[in-house]
Amino acid sequence: MNNDGQLCFLRLEKHYRERHVLSIGRLTLAPGRIVHLTGRNGAGKTTLLKILAGLEPPDCCDVSLDHRSQPWQAVRQRLRRDMVYLHQHPYMFDDTVTDNLSYGLRVTGVPRARRRRAVAVMLERIGLEHAARRNARTLSGGEQQRLALARAWLLQPRVLLLDEPTANMDSEFRQQTWTLLQEMLNDELAIMVSSHELSKAECPNCLNLHLQDGRLNAGPPSLHLVGQDRSPAQDCLGVIP
Amino acid sequence: MDSLLQPTHEAFHLLITGDRDLWTIIGISFRVSLKAILCATPFALLLAFLLAYVSFPGRRLVVSIFETLMALPAVVVGLLIYLLLSRSGPLGDLRLLFTQTAMVIGQIVLCFPILVAMGYAAIRAADRRAWETALTLGAGRPRAMLTLIHEVRFGLLVAMIAGFGRIISEIGTSMMVGGNIAGHTRNIPTAIALETSKGHFAEGIALGIVLVTLAFGLNLTLNVLQRREAQAA
Repeated sequence: MNNDGQLCFLRLEKHYRERHVLSIGRLTLAPGRIVHLTGRNGAGKTTLLKILAGLEPPDCCDVSLDHRSQPWQAVRQRLRRDMVYLHQHPYMFDDTVTDNLSYGLRVTGVPRARRRRAVAVMLERIGLEHAARRNARTLSGGEQQRLALARAWLLQPRVLLLDEPTANMDSEFRQQTWTLLQEMLNDELAIMVSSHELSKAECPNCLNLHLQDGRLNAGPPSLHLVGQDRSPAQDCLGVIP
Repeated sequence: MDSLLQPTHEAFHLLITGDRDLWTIIGISFRVSLKAILCATPFALLLAFLLAYVSFPGRRLVVSIFETLMALPAVVVGLLIYLLLSRSGPLGDLRLLFTQTAMVIGQIVLCFPILVAMGYAAIRAADRRAWETALTLGAGRPRAMLTLIHEVRFGLLVAMIAGFGRIISEIGTSMMVGGNIAGHTRNIPTAIALETSKGHFAEGIALGIVLVTLAFGLNLTLNVLQRREAQAA
């Protein structure tokens, strides 16, 4: 992150064999913002999120943090530490809800007593305290999604990357998820959410980016914040209008 | 019919009354095979994991070689290890020929390809999201690997049981590098061969009953594990 907490990806390129999947000049993620990424199936949304999360290598990419630009490979571990990526269908370990929730804290060496307190508070917050000893795979889809978000939230990441978190959800669950995301958002967290479509009502303050032919564009004007000459989405891309 | 019933009756008698020689043979068999499977498993699983998750040229060829080696004849392994450990062989100075250690080495060679090939298949079949989720939640690669192994534990146990089933009943390697020395390197398969050749069918049948019971028990365990694996998926 820069001194203002921004994380900037520069000259990001990705090919799959002959196909040019991503070609992004600049992408900035700033805390306190939810960036909404749209694009059709196969546009490269998942690939982009995984590259940002340090899970999949780009062909080339520089990352600007701590006042200097470094190659993606050099900051890969840092990216993994600062970001949490959630799959479209979150993976639940074959363990109890409590063990799933505490996984990240356990592997990052948080002491047991602190871990227990944090997990207990979070279980209550997401309304799953009654299911604490159940195998996480027996939860409903909506409950698993909440558990996965809480599991990420406990780690207090700088950036949360969500891959189509509301796909295949009914409107009630979609609204619940968006409410939880708004609740999670604070001055130190940036959130990037990908999906096919988004209604303005679900996330009125989202910045919209559209991925097409491997390039990021500011989203449709109808989704920009009203009364601004230059959309925050363009700031995010560093595009001069 | 009496030629079968009489020795079978005697075999059960030997097993129930705890015939010392018989149970010594059974003890040696289990000790040697358990040592072999426990020594081979960590290295085989590490190799299986690397084959499943690290790309390098010829990876598929290496997997094919291990799959082929699953059917490696025990006598061929016995012959190779005999040549290595015999006095004139490159490892002759170690004086390991006709010891339990030599039998353990032979059985490691036999079960290693089974553990690698079946372990590789289990790890490859694991959901890729498990690996990515572990990494993104802060696990380093070694810790993420342990998490993945935990996720596919039933498949890996199946590989271990299949490997154990293969070596506990093999005769070629044990006979050639163990030497079938009573109370020392005589295990169930070599004892069955010897007792049968001497016409002592009761001892042979008693040991056969132990092997068949073990095979049944392993098969039952495999079925239970495979059902649990299917439920966990």
